[in-house]
Parts: sequence; structure tokens; C-alpha cells
Amino acid sequence: MAASPTAPPTSAGTLKLIAPLTPPSSTRTWLTVPHHSLPLVATATSDKTVRVYSLRSFTLHSTVSGGHKRSVRSCAWKPGTKGESVLATGSFDASAGIWRRWDMDMGMARERDLTGGVDEGDEEEDEGWRFSVILDGHESEIKSVAWSASGQFLATCSRDKSVWIWEEMEDDNFETIAVLQEHEADVKCVAWHPEEELLASSSYDDTIRLYREDIDDWTGIAVLSGHDSTVWSIDFEPAKPALSGDSQADASDRARWIEAREASGPRLVSGSDDRTLRIWRRRPKQKQPAPPTGQGRIPSIIRTHSIEEDWYEEARLPVAHERAIYSVAWSKRTGRIVSTGGDGRIVVYEERWSEPKGNEEKTDGLNPEGTEASDLPVARTTWSVVASIEMAHDVFEVNHVTFARRFDSGRTSDDEEIIISTGDDGQVKVWTVEI
Amino acid sequence: MSAILSADDLNDFISPGVACIKPVETLPKEELKEPNNAYEVTTEDKVPPPPDAPPAQISLTDCLACSGCVTSAEAVLVSLQSHSEVLNALDSTPSIDPQLLAAAARGEQQNGLGEGRIFIVSISPQTRASLAAAYGISEQQAGYMLEQLFSGPQGIRSGGAYKNGFTWVIDTNVAREACLVLGADEVKESLAQSSSNEQAQGDNPTHPKRPILTSACPGWICYAEKTHPHILPHLSRLKSPQALLGTLLKTSLSKRLNISPDRIWHLAVMPCFDKKLEASREELTDLAWQTDSQSQTKQGIRDVDCVITTKEILMLAESRGIALHDVPRTPLDPSTRVPFPDPTLDSFLFPSLDHPRHRNAQSASGPSGGYLYHILCTYQAQSPGSSIEIVRGRNSDVVDYTLKDANGGVILKTARYYGFRNIQNLVRRLKPARASRMPGAAARRLGGASRKPGMPAAASSASSAGLGTDYAYVEVMACPGGCTNGGAQLKPIDLVASSAPAAPATSNGGANADLGLDSAPTSGTATPIASSGTSTPQQQREWLARVDEAYFSASDDEGEGETVGTKSNGTAAKIAADNVNGISPAYIHSMLTHWSNTTSVPLDRLAYTTYRKVESDVGKDRDKGRETERVVELAGKIGGGW
Repeated sequence: MAASPTAPPTSAGTLKLIAPLTPPSSTRTWLTVPHHSLPLVATATSDKTVRVYSLRSFTLHSTVSGGHKRSVRSCAWKPGTKGESVLATGSFDASAGIWRRWDMDMGMARERDLTGGVDEGDEEEDEGWRFSVILDGHESEIKSVAWSASGQFLATCSRDKSVWIWEEMEDDNFETIAVLQEHEADVKCVAWHPEEELLASSSYDDTIRLYREDIDDWTGIAVLSGHDSTVWSIDFEPAKPALSGDSQADASDRARWIEAREASGPRLVSGSDDRTLRIWRRRPKQKQPAPPTGQGRIPSIIRTHSIEEDWYEEARLPVAHERAIYSVAWSKRTGRIVSTGGDGRIVVYEERWSEPKGNEEKTDGLNPEGTEASDLPVARTTWSVVASIEMAHDVFEVNHVTFARRFDSGRTSDDEEIIISTGDDGQVKVWTVEI
Repeated sequence: MSAILSADDLNDFISPGVACIKPVETLPKEELKEPNNAYEVTTEDKVPPPPDAPPAQISLTDCLACSGCVTSAEAVLVSLQSHSEVLNALDSTPSIDPQLLAAAARGEQQNGLGEGRIFIVSISPQTRASLAAAYGISEQQAGYMLEQLFSGPQGIRSGGAYKNGFTWVIDTNVAREACLVLGADEVKESLAQSSSNEQAQGDNPTHPKRPILTSACPGWICYAEKTHPHILPHLSRLKSPQALLGTLLKTSLSKRLNISPDRIWHLAVMPCFDKKLEASREELTDLAWQTDSQSQTKQGIRDVDCVITTKEILMLAESRGIALHDVPRTPLDPSTRVPFPDPTLDSFLFPSLDHPRHRNAQSASGPSGGYLYHILCTYQAQSPGSSIEIVRGRNSDVVDYTLKDANGGVILKTARYYGFRNIQNLVRRLKPARASRMPGAAARRLGGASRKPGMPAAASSASSAGLGTDYAYVEVMACPGGCTNGGAQLKPIDLVASSAPAAPATSNGGANADLGLDSAPTSGTATPIASSGTSTPQQQREWLARVDEAYFSASDDEGEGETVGTKSNGTAAKIAADNVNGISPAYIHSMLTHWSNTTSVPLDRLAYTTYRKVESDVGKDRDKGRETERVVELAGKIGGGW
């Protein structure tokens, strides 16, 4: 089902470069992740370091180095920390690292009250970054790392086809609590559900797999098949759905749609080498409000409900890439989706209420087999491209793209959103969407 | 993610995992990835793959060892052990006439034993438990069924070139009891030594380092030797029950009957594919115990010639056209029994039915032989008033067992660690800290040894925490749930075929199914799935509970202990005297001494073995250019790039 070659989407909007982060890396950069509260981003770099940049000044803040023997492929800020920032790194040297730094050392205390534009000041000797734990176990290159929403679990995945889950114990100790070997090939990406302890992974075997803890074993609960090639990137929808666009549809229909969406919970978006972006949605279980987790459950004989979940492909986004999609992100603020890939293009999509009736949108929700029509909400939504840009990193491939909050002096509101792209050219660029 | 592979990048792909045949077999079909994938195939264009690409091979899928590191040599060794190999062996030569054996047992030397081999099979209790659960019979009935299959007139003896079968069917439990006694001895000696001479620890290769780790699980041993050589000094040096029984049979029979060990063909039936790997170890051949020097140069003769698994029992029966469910579940006629040529060993190998030794472990000792529990019982017997405290860990496969004296003081701290994920946490704790990896952190480490959250963290890598070193002993098994849940046990999906009588059409008896590789119909595209495409986690748990129930039922049937009837030799009195956990150490020791004396081989060479670090040969000792080609090829194919 490979999509046919696509012209650049002729959408109205574009992306405007706010600034590159300086100085750029002299080697390939892989991925950039924003801090959950501080105006910082961390960029995984193939020179074995992580570069931390300020989103106020767009300059290098500090460098996390000295721990990995090969390219740092991925990194993730532990969510919810206060007073101390914790960064997990995943490297091609098959190890993951946990790094800590006091936020006082971040130079943030004095900066927080200002409106921005302040230099982070003296480039301290990066004394502040402490390499606290090495997580060994994978046999080959780690491709992705992700913290669960609570910060209790860290997931890592590797070319060795496995997904590992680590639990942080007291005193800087991490324990392996699961080694999931269900994929048949290189695992490219891991992502946690924003509310539940549900882990997703995507692979070179073209599938996405979901896992959950059952009694005390993490186990596969669903396989999402459909992509025709490597699934490079996955991301969950934020807990609260955000739809934009005018309300053509009837208000009560929209309410029903939202109700149905809340019953299924956050959806998942996937981006693939087959150049498609797909939205996956859980089919709610009958009269089972919350999937069981944790311990102390009655033994399985008495349980009538399976832990397995049924996820189906709800929609495809308009095809807007000519080559592999390497990265996709779902905005926590606006509900938009952004994608990028081997064609150097960055594309922003938005979900809107469909025209009531009549219009047969190609990108509209696919009616899943076996679903009775009455199960489907009357109001329907459509994904469309709202902005895009060509050659975002000149001729280079773009490896990663994400949303972040805007902190620099040019911002117009507290909640303004920016897009950050990371390229093979060692550049990290900050964009704003102009529609 | 571009196609530019620098020399540095090439290094990315030289790792042990690449050496494994698994990547070869998982190479994607070529036509799938061609047109729009230029970003990762350009390098292949520059470096065309060698024309004689290695053929894909089928390897073990269910075992831990193949998580990327079974070498092709090992895969061959393993593929040679199959149910068809059993039939080939039987068809290659007749059995030695039982009359002649019986005469030899009586010491009547006649003119040799004639042509042929002695065929012996030893059967693990977990195999019986799996079959018992599958057929809804008792573990004892499953044992009778297997005796009938291997030795009885309606079994495999009913077919084949020589209409031959197995002369002896032995329960590996007998060897397990010897292992338990020796294992407890080893722990006592090692702990005594380490406490009296702290610094000599590690320099002395005769005793393992504390904590001592069980070495009976071949998947664990294989993994440790390849991936975590730092733990090898901790491994118990004791042979596994399979290996010990193999050595016992080969040494005693070849000496007693004055025949070459290759005329004794020993089959083991195990719950585990990796037991095949164990049987292939050169440490476990006659080279380890032969005394005449001429044998040193030739290739060793294995103590266990072949291992087949529980799953392969079904195939073996099918291949002979036998419906396993029709095989009688009753004991063989005792009058047809051929006594083992050595009376002392005869009573050891074939304990009478009401003998307390004829039973599996109690449930407290777990599904994997009960090493840990027996050690605790041994210490407990020496410490009146002591009790065993059992604390479950993060999951059911991590359990702390602490022996405490009457005042609550800790006598012995031990634990059970089953399953790959839990083994990870154990080996990490036993790993020496690698300060070299953190140049910056290394300096701080000296100052901040005891840190708390908030102090500059030393480079602990979770290793110097010392949690592991609290333990005196850890029972380690690769499979979650232990040996009753072995990778080659019957799964619910296998039952579909076996529970349907007269359905031999479902045979998977072809050569490629020899390893019992996923004979289940592949489950296709359905979502949702169960792991490994067979059954849901709940079903798997329920199934395992049934197998465990069958495994432990053997002891429940007989109640606790007092059945001390025995058939001969007055061993009962000895058992009653120094019974530990239902086993008499004195009796075991007397048997072992007898064995060593009659074979003129020191016990050290009979009952213990060694381990070695296994290094990948990838990137070494090979033509560099060719290697690079291979690596680039694999780089393009197996991982799909970055």
C-alpha cells in the first residue's frame, strides 16, 4: 500500500525559522527533547555527547560527556523532577546512562523571573552533570529511551530486537523488570502512554507492539500491523484531545465524538518508512472501566477479561513525504502532529471536524471491520496539512522533530508553541508555524 | 541516517550479535526493500555481498542462549540431537543381549558381550510432569508410560531394523540427589574457606566464590560464559544431574563390562533445548575421566550421547507409528528387568517404589531440582531451632530465603533468581565497577563512596551496592518459572495435536522439525496476540500451574517421609539415621566412594566440571576485507540502518 509519489503539499501555511541553536554540532545530531519545565532542550549527538541548549538564548548551555563510547542515539528527561534534572541517554555502545544535575547549576533560578534573552552566563565547566548510573544489558545499539509518565519506569530498545523496562529503586539503583523479545527485528522507538502504564514499541519488522504489566510480568497485549515497512517513530496523543477548526458539525455529535475518544483514551500516531502516518485507536472494552494493573489480583482462572487490547487503524494522515518518515510528534498543546524524514521536509497536520456528510475525504477515519456503525460517532474528523517546509536542513536528512513551548523574547504568549528539528548536518533549528 | 558509513560507523556492526546465525535467518526478503530505500542500500551497491552467502539455518528459538549468540558450530551440535538421531542410533546396531548383561552382572564372565550397544535413557521429572499435565494422568503414570515407550514390548521396540529398545530407563532424580548432597558440601566448604581465609578467595580455583551460583541450567551457563565472564568464578563446579548420571553410567559400565564407552549409548530426555548444548561440551566427555593416555588425543566420547526434549517425545512416538496415549501406563513386568551389573549402583539407580528417594521435590524446593532448599535444610539440620524465612521479591521468580536462628539472627542468606530479566539484576550486582568508563566520575568516586540521594553520585553503575554479595548462594535458572516451564516442555498449543487421538497426520516429524521448532500453526495477523503466538499469558500461567501440580504431586502422594521400606541392602537404616530433606548424605557418599573406587577415578574428576569464557571470533582471525563485506551487508539488511 505504498503511497504514490507526492508533490509538496500545497497547504497555505509554512514554517518560519526562528533561529538555529548555536553553535551547531560538527557531527550528526539525532534527536532533541525539550525539558518538562525548564527552557532547555537536550540534543543527542553522534560525537558521544548530549548538547544542552537554552531555548531563551538559543545557545549551548552545557554538554553531557564522558560516559558513552559511541554515538548517543537518544535521550529523555525524566518527567516531574523538581530541583534536580535527570537525563537518560541511550547509546550505540549498547548502554544507557542516567545523568543528574541540580537545577541551581542550570543557572535557571535567576533567570526564571526574567522575560528572557538573558545569557545563561558563565560557561561553567559542566561540573554539574553527574553520571550516576550505567544500565548495561542490551547486546547492541540502543535506539530509543523513554520514561513512563510517572518517571518510575525507563524503557530502552535496541538493534538486539529487545525492549527492556527498568525500574528506579532507591539510592540510584535500577533494576531490570522486563526484557521483551517480541519483535523480530531492530526496535526503533519506544513511547509510553501519557496516563497508563502502557508501553509501545515500533520496529524494523513493520509492527508496533504494546505491553502492559500482568500480575508481575510485562507482556505483549497487542500488535499493530499495517505498515509496509519500518516504523521509525511513534508518539501518543496527549491525555486531553485538542481539536481545532470551525464547528461545522452538530454540537451534540461533537460531544459524542469526544465521549467516544475519551472512552478509548489517547491515540497513537506512527510514522514509517512506507511514508505513511497512521493513527491507531483502542477499541474500548465493554463495561471494563480501567484495565487491570498491579498486583493482588485474583488468579487468572476467575478473571473473565483478557489483558489483551484491540487497537485498530483509525485514520491515515495525508501523504506528504517522498521518503521515509523518521520522526513524528503529537503536540500536547494544540493537538497538531508534525513529521519529518529523509526528504528533508517538515509537515504539520491538524485534526478538524469534518464537513457534515457528503464529503468523502480520503484521509477520513477508516471504518474498522467488525465495528457496528452505531459504535461510531456521528461527527467525524479530518486530518489535513496546515503547514510545511522543504529542505529544512538544506540537503540533509532530518532525523527528528518535536514540539516545545516557546521561551525566547519573541514569544507572544505563555503557551506559544514552537517546533524543533534535528538534522544530519549537526544543526538543531527552531521553527514557528505560520498559517 | 544517510548512507554515509564512515569507518567508525562500520565498527557499529562488529559485535557478538552479528556473529550469530540468527541475523542470517532473519534477513528480509530482498524484493521487499528495494525501490524507495536508497538511503540504506547504497553501501551495498559499493560492496556487493559475497556470492556464497551463508545459508540460513534453523536454530533454537526457545532458549535463552540464542538471544543472539548461539554460534553456528553450536547450532550444528544441537541439530545432531533429535528424535530421528535416536532412531538412527537404534537402527545402527542391535542392543547387547540382556542375558549376557545379566550374566555379566552376576560376574559370570563369558566370551564377551557380542555385538551391539547398551541403550540407556534417563528421564527428567519435569518431562514426566509435562506429559502428566498433557494427558491428565499422574506423574507416576507418565513415568510408566515412558518406560513402556522406551523399553516395553509395545514401545519403540516394536519397530526398527533390530527391534531394539532401551535396556534401562532411569529417573534423573537419583543423580539429582547426589548433586544436592555434593552441592551442599561445596557450599559448606567454600563458605568455611572464605571465612577463614578472606583474601585467598578467588585465587583458589577449587572452590567457587561467594555467592555461589547454581550451574545446572545450561542456558544460564551458556549466557554467563559468553556475556558475563566475571561471574564464572561464582559458579558451582558441580556437574548437572544429566551430566553426572552420564558420567556414572559410562564410567561404571565401561569398567565393569570392559567395553569402550562408545558402546554405551545414553539418551537424556529433558525439559530444555539447552541441555543439548550441555551434552555437547567437551568438558563432559570421556576425556575428562579416561585414565589411559592414548585416549587423550582422540575426540572425546560424550557422557550423554543425545538429548531430546519433552516435545520430541511426541515426535519420537509418531515416527515409530506409536500413539502415545495408547501406551500402557503401568509398570513393566519386573521379571524382565535387567539388573545393573553393579549391585550397589543398581540399588542407587533403581530405588524401590516405596523408597523415600523415589519422589520429586516438595513444593518448597521449587520446580528446578531444589538445590537451594537442600542447602538450607542441610544448614538447618545443624542449627536446632532455626527457621527459614521466605520473602518474595519484585516478582514470583525472585525469592529471598534466609535461615535464621532461634533469636532471629541470620545464619545463611540465599535467594532464587529465575528468568532472564532477574538474572540481569543479579549479574549487574556482581559486576566489578567500571571506573574507566567514566573518567570524570572516577575521581569523585573515591571521595563519595557512601552517597545518598543528593550527594555527588559515585559511578556505581548499580554494582557496588553489594546487594548480591549478601547472598551465600543463589539458585539461578534461565527460565521464568524454573525447569517445569522449560523451553521445550509441551505448550497448550502442542496438546491440540496430542490430545486428539489417532491424528498422526499432524506430524511434524520432518527433519526440520527435529528441534521442535514452533510446530504450532503460525497465528497470522490476528490482533490481539499472545506472546510467541501461542496462547494468552493467562492460559500459559494456568498451564504451568498444572505442570507444577503434577511435578509436586509425586511427593504429596506419599505423604511426608515415613515410608522407609526398601528392597535390599539395608540402606533404609542409613537413611533414617541422617536424613536431610529426605536424603541420606552418608548413603550418597558411600555410593560415590564406591563409584570412585570401582572405576579408579578420583571423585573430583567424576563429579565436577569447569567453565570458560567464550569469546566471539567476529572481527578476529579472519580476512579483514571479507569481514567488512559481511558487516556492511548485515548492516544494510538486518537492522534497517540506524
